[in-house]
Amino acid sequence: MVEAQLVLTALMGLFLAGVAVWLSRIEDWRSYTPLAGGGGAVGEESGYAHNEKPSGLIRWLTTVDHKDIGILYGVYSIIAFAVGGIMVILMRTELLTPDEAIIGSQFYNSLLTSHGITMLFLFGTPMIAAFGNYFIPLLVNAEDMAFPRINAIAFWMLPPGALLVWAGFLVVPFTDIQPAQTAWTLYTPLSAGVGTGTQAGVSGLGIDFMLLGLHFTGLSATMGAINFIATIFTDRGSDVNWANLDIFSWTMLTQSGLILFAFPLLGSALIMLLLDRNFGTTFFLAEGGGPILWQHLFWFFGHPEVYILALPPMGLVSFILPKFSGRKLFGFKFVVYSTLAIGVLSFGVWAHHMFATGIDPRIRASFEAVSLAIAIPSAVKVFNWTTTLWGGNLRLTAPMLFCVGAVSNFIFGGVTGVFTAAIPIDLVLHDTYYIVGHFHYILMGLLAFTVFAGIYYWFPIITGKMYQKRLAKWHFWLTMIGTNITFFAMLLLGYLGMPRRYATYTFGVGPQQIIEVLHQVTTLGAFILLVGQIIWVWNMIQSWYEAPTLQDNDPWDLKETGQFTNEWGWNERRLETAIADGGEEEEATMTDGGDPVDGSADAE
Amino acid sequence: MDDQPGLSDQYRMSSPWPLIVVLGLLFSELGLLFNVFPVAVGGLLLFVGAIAGIVLESGYADRPWNLLAGLGVALCVLGALVTVTQLDSVTLDAITTVVGQPNGIVGRGVELLIAGIVSVVIGAGGRVAESESI
Ligand code: HEM
Ligand SMILES: [Cu+2]
Repeated sequence: MVEAQLVLTALMGLFLAGVAVWLSRIEDWRSYTPLAGGGGAVGEESGYAHNEKPSGLIRWLTTVDHKDIGILYGVYSIIAFAVGGIMVILMRTELLTPDEAIIGSQFYNSLLTSHGITMLFLFGTPMIAAFGNYFIPLLVNAEDMAFPRINAIAFWMLPPGALLVWAGFLVVPFTDIQPAQTAWTLYTPLSAGVGTGTQAGVSGLGIDFMLLGLHFTGLSATMGAINFIATIFTDRGSDVNWANLDIFSWTMLTQSGLILFAFPLLGSALIMLLLDRNFGTTFFLAEGGGPILWQHLFWFFGHPEVYILALPPMGLVSFILPKFSGRKLFGFKFVVYSTLAIGVLSFGVWAHHMFATGIDPRIRASFEAVSLAIAIPSAVKVFNWTTTLWGGNLRLTAPMLFCVGAVSNFIFGGVTGVFTAAIPIDLVLHDTYYIVGHFHYILMGLLAFTVFAGIYYWFPIITGKMYQKRLAKWHFWLTMIGTNITFFAMLLLGYLGMPRRYATYTFGVGPQQIIEVLHQVTTLGAFILLVGQIIWVWNMIQSWYEAPTLQDNDPWDLKETGQFTNEWGWNERRLETAIADGGEEEEATMTDGGDPVDGSADAE
Repeated sequence: MDDQPGLSDQYRMSSPWPLIVVLGLLFSELGLLFNVFPVAVGGLLLFVGAIAGIVLESGYADRPWNLLAGLGVALCVLGALVTVTQLDSVTLDAITTVVGQPNGIVGRGVELLIAGIVSVVIGAGGRVAESESI
């Protein structure tokens, strides 16, 4: 024991020394590399002549440029998406047969837990931040994010967060430590380590790791949110005002507000849970605050979190869909108002996740009312998207297909949500596959679809190349069909009473045979989805490396319909300076906001 | 924005500090949660050092020392608070019993205290050394 401490101390000392050496080397480069021109003691802005970043790996480790950080966020999130996807493929394979055939139920539960947490915290939230980082400063004409270094800190919180969340899987072959099996909701008393299961003692260390990891991703999201709010409020270019702020920035602003109120609460609740697990407190134990306290705290965060994951995707649809409909977003103002309304209401519905816990019926009734009310602003958006499409000049490019698919899926996800908001129906459907179908229609059907739409739409800006259109169509159709097979079958399974979070279905809950077939259909859908995503990743990587450099500054012909927005303007200036190294050309500010600034004439 | 006198404008879109802040926080949290003395103390030192460094680099401060010492004081206060919760009464006797047979919570308090004291010493030392050389 003492020896182990000594070894650790030595290692830690070595590590600190390593950091110091690394730092001094970097500071050296920064101080002694001569300036390109001038050469005075005080560094002056000397145009494009000097390098703004070191090269190679060090550039990516030390960058504070919002575009680099956006790319880092994106690559990180896609890796997390792949990990979460592989986890669920294993789970779906197990569910091909009713009994435990391929993986044990403990491993299934671990995968279930990590799949949820990975997709929500390591893929969803950071992927949205990826778009925000790259494009918000360009859209609002800011130099960079308001706090570039905090931006970098927020990103670098994520890789250790992911490693901690997955730590149980990484060490389970060598130790007694088990990956967490609490499901993403971390309900106490199970997650507090009460009882004789694998969630306490040494085998429960996986939960402690995961809680720390979640804590990190929460800090990251909070810092990112502060940065987005500060950037949009204080760093807007002089030609971007509240009246012409684009719709994606509006949704990011609202989402950041939600993060600011929701994530610190999760962070505190996580610390309380860690204290219960390790320091003998009783916040969530029956003799203390009680397990329901955890559910209240968790869902006060958890429901806003679902809108944290839904609002920016809605913003992406509102932003991209009009570009391929040949007209402006219908009812821009109402889309903004509905975004704000959802933002406010989303803090008043959390107990709809707790209808079945036996809380006071009067409380339940009021939460039912607010939950039904939140459907209204959601529907406003759907109607605005539909009317934007109506009579428009539609061009079915890959980003457009994904937007239209997202609207369709969101209708399924939203309508099924309204049903569960009604208490009597929820009491029947709660904890069944119906719920799983409901939220996947939104998380896969809306969030992932709009992520794809955004990546295809901005691929030319990020990479300077164009993706392969045929592969993109394959990707879309496989994803659209796969999503609807998988999650519609889940809705039906839920109607038949199939409970969620089980590795087997040998117990008699309903018509065995139909349930088995539906499970197999669900798994088939998941495999279709897998094929589609492999095609997508291939398309992205190959096109980035091998596609010819794009000469066209306006690959989507946005100028024709007067929708050549700021980020494309920035891209055009960048390409022109690169080619001619010439002066700045005149800028016509074009956001997609409600009121044009310099009159719409100069866009034509 | 982040120029310092004498430091060239080269690589102004990069900073080594964010990564170090994160590593510092990571090791502090791991060390404190699992009560691993060297990891906790090392992590805390890295964390406060990196905060002083990044604040200095961003131009919010001219010298890192005051901030370093200040953060050290904060750690000391935190460590003392954590330790005091384990005392039956605030007497010398109680203190000697607790420190003689530290439980897990006192262990964490001591980790915070030691990291805090080291930071204060470095901060104060840096101040003295620099005021002499200038
Ligand atoms: C039209 C608005 C919506 C309504 C009325 C609604 C209603 C509900 C209700 C009542 C539940 C609890 C069901 C139960 O466990 O018994 C639920 C679960 C869930 N909803 Fe929604 N929802 C809506 C939109 C959304 C959106 C936009 C998202 C995600 C972006 C979402 C994600 C989820 C998730 C993840 C769960 C499951 C949580 C869990 O137990 O693990 N919902 N929804
Ligand atoms: Cu909810």
